[in-house]
Order: sequence, then C-alpha cells, then structure tokens
Amino acid sequence: MLKVNKLNAYYGESHILKDVSVTVDQGQVVVMMGPNGHGKSTLLKSICGLVDQVSGEVSYNGEDITGSAADKIVNLGVTYIAENRELFPYMSVKDNLKLGAYSKNARANEKKNMEWVADLFPKLIERQKQLASTMSGGEAKMLAIARGLMSDADLLCIDEPALGLQPSYRMDILEIIKEISKQGKTVFLAEQNIPQLIEMADKIYIMEEGSISFEGSKDDAFNNEDLKEIFLGL
Amino acid sequence: MIFEIIDVIISGLINGSVYALMAVGLTLVYGVTKAFNFAYGSFYNMGGYFAWMLLIPLGLIGGYFSVFFVAIPVFFVVGFLLEKVLVSPLRKYDDWEMKVMMLTLGLSLFMDFGYQAVFGPRIKSLPGMIEGTIELGQVVLFNQDIVIFILSVGGMICFGWLLTNTRTGMAVQAVAQNPAGAKIVGIPKDFVFAATFAISTIMVGLGGILLCQKNFIDPMGSTNIMIKAWVITAFGGMGSISGSLYAAFILGMLEAFVGWHFGMIYVQIATLTLLLVTLAVRPQGLMGRE
Repeated sequence: MLKVNKLNAYYGESHILKDVSVTVDQGQVVVMMGPNGHGKSTLLKSICGLVDQVSGEVSYNGEDITGSAADKIVNLGVTYIAENRELFPYMSVKDNLKLGAYSKNARANEKKNMEWVADLFPKLIERQKQLASTMSGGEAKMLAIARGLMSDADLLCIDEPALGLQPSYRMDILEIIKEISKQGKTVFLAEQNIPQLIEMADKIYIMEEGSISFEGSKDDAFNNEDLKEIFLGL
Repeated sequence: MIFEIIDVIISGLINGSVYALMAVGLTLVYGVTKAFNFAYGSFYNMGGYFAWMLLIPLGLIGGYFSVFFVAIPVFFVVGFLLEKVLVSPLRKYDDWEMKVMMLTLGLSLFMDFGYQAVFGPRIKSLPGMIEGTIELGQVVLFNQDIVIFILSVGGMICFGWLLTNTRTGMAVQAVAQNPAGAKIVGIPKDFVFAATFAISTIMVGLGGILLCQKNFIDPMGSTNIMIKAWVITAFGGMGSISGSLYAAFILGMLEAFVGWHFGMIYVQIATLTLLLVTLAVRPQGLMGRE
C-alpha cells in the first residue's frame, strides 16, 4: 500500500531523514518508535506532502506521490493527524469536522463518516457548537483524530496521539485505534507512550537520528534485549 | 440642534456601512495571506469608473441593477487574476509579503495615473441610484442614502453567509486561522488566496460604485480611500472581520461629528489621532489577536 524508498528530507540546511525505507501494507497497524526529535514526525509529514524538501521515493497504491501537493495526497486517501493538533481555533467542533471532509472524495462520504465519528466520539458531538480553542488538550486531540477520520482516508498517519495526555486518555486512544483498524483502515503511528499499542502492532520500526535502526514484528522487538531496555522499559 | 445631530448620525451610519464593506475586504486579504494590498483604494475607483462607463458612454439598459449584475463577475475575475498573475509568482520568496506590499504600491500608482490617462484628470460624477427624499418630521432622508445603506449592509450579510456556510468560505477561514491545519485537511492554498483577492475586489469595487455616487470619481482619490480602509483595518485589528465592522462604524460616526462640529479639514486628523492613540495603548487594535 505505502512504500517509502530511500527517503531523504531536509529543513533548510538540516538533513533530517537519511535514506529511510518503510513499507506499510493494507489493513496493518504499523508503529514507529524512537526518541523525540529523531525524525518520526518528519517521516509522517513527508509522506503526506507537508515537507517541502524531500528526495527519494514515496508511492501509495503504486502511484508516485513524492513531493506531491498535500491536497492531492489527501484526495488519494492518505491523511496526517498532527501531534500538535493543528485545529481551526475559532471554529466550532462541527465546522472543524466538516473541514476534515474538504477533499473531493471525502465529500462524497461526509455523512457516513460523520455518523461513524459521532459513534466513536460521543463527547465531541455533545460539544459540537463549542469553539475548538476552548477545549482541553485531551479533547482537542480527540477532535484532531476525528477530523482526520472525516477525510475518508484509507491510510492514517497519526503523529504521537498520546504525547502530553493523561493516562486515561491514552487508553481511549488505544481503543480508538483498535476501532479504526477494525474498520479496515491502515494505521501508521509514531508513538511510544502506549506500551499496549505494541501488542496490536503488525510491524514495528525504530527511528534513531533520522535512520531506521530496527524493523520487525512485535515478537522480534520483545526478543531484542537492547530494545526492551531502551524503548519498552521492560 | 437635535435634528442636526440626527442628520450627523445618519450620515455617519451610511458612510460607516460602506467603509465596513470595503474594510472587511481588506482585512480579509490580510487575515488570509498576511500580505497587505496597497492597491485596494485604486480598486475602489475601478468600481466608480466601471459604473460610469457602463451608464454614461455605453448607456447600459437597466441602470444600476445591470451594473451590479455585470460588475460582480467582472470584479471577481479581476481580483482572481491580480492574485494569479502578479501576487502568486512572488510567493516563492521568503519575504514575499514585503514584495507584495511593494508591488501593490506600484500597481496603485499605475492604476491612478492610468485612470487620468484614460478618463482625464477631472472628476466625474455618477448619477444617483434613486431620486427623492423621505421626510420624517424635520429629518430629511435621501432615498439614495437609504439604498446605499441597505446595499452595503446586505452585501456584508451576504459575505458573512458565504464565509460561514459555503465550502470555499470555510476554507478561507481555515487558512486564516491555521494555514498548517488547512494544508493537512487538503485545502489548496493557491485557490484560497486567489478567491480571497477576488472576494475583496468585489467588496471594494461595490463600495466604489456606491460611494462615488455621493462623492464623485476622483482619479487621484484612491489615496484617501486607502488611508481610510487601512486606518479601519489597523484600528479594528489586522485580520479581524468583526473588528473592522466596529471600527468602520466608529470612524464613520467620528468623521460625521468632526466634520460637522469642527470642519472637514479636521476629519483625517481626528481619525489618525484615534488610530495612533489606539495603537499606542493596544497595538493589536480593537479586536486583533496578539
């Protein structure tokens, strides 16, 4: 489904991603771990057309999307859910959700996705008239995920959904990711604050200093002594 | 005395309504693109000359009704092309906002001298939309003023509706509130920027058609309008639509009172004093966000 081959990404003079290759297959939950500031977010953003300077190859369902405009990539069915949420602060929850379905393909399924989101996030729908800027951190995070689901994407690139959240929200996020996966969506996550997530991962990557330092199944990860100590805290 | 004051209030309301229509367009462009369109005043004159051309030399049937019917799509295209042809190529530079300011300043002078070359240096007058007066006791209202007020307020209501109820309007708001978020949900910035310029050109052009009936078309008059629109936007808070609305009516009233009580030459001084004092105390303007 998603193939990233020898991807390099830069912010000005800084070389962030160095020959990164990852593969995500249809229906999988793939978790990328690694220390903060080592390029996890940049990889997700590069895939979604949100980084200007990239080289290498990103293909989605066989189509080359390297350096494509973000709106084109969203319309193909790939969406990015930002760690820092990037909501529209002076718009209502409802309008934020509606804008999630901005792309042409999302519009066709807006009603259906709105019902799905209402099912998944009943609290958001209770507050649909509230301005996004007045929500708490956890609620805003939920709204960001819900807005991403409105895009009707098949591949969701979710960036650190649990970062900075209370433990109770972490469990909610775990449940939501399970639910999203159950709907047949493919999930590519950068996250290392939810140990339980590893249980449901089909594949795990570890990124260090802009390169992939580990790739394997969860069993491989559990059997790897270094990883246990460094990242899993076991 | 009391009737004079009522007259002044009415005059302030009418001017305020047209200023609001124009300033909202200017603040919208700033809010969305973070660039300032210094040619805005010259597009006000474009409205005036456009109506004059259609009504006087061309003798368009249907009067102002036809003028609006033709003007809205034409102004839309002009604004859209302005962004696509002149502004958009500058956006590849890091300091493109500054370059847009320089460009629009040049464009404004080009347009003003162009009006002189094409239409001559003398002022022109537009016929009124409607004749006659209504008398309410001792207060006399010009029908034309009433129509101008209704059209300006109606124009703003339409604009507000479009901004909150259409997909493109919501996309415009989204880019203004969070450009990164807009990109994530797949809003094409290029289209939104061009649409914003187009909408703002309609608003100032219509403002020109309405106010030039009262104030004549002056080929060099764009500076005055630009100053007003800029004062209103800065006073209300750059990029804040509600701020511009309040500011427009406050300035409309201030102008009317200062003009009546102290004389017209003090009007600009008064408005600029208000601006400077406001900015000294509250640099983000009335409703601006820090």
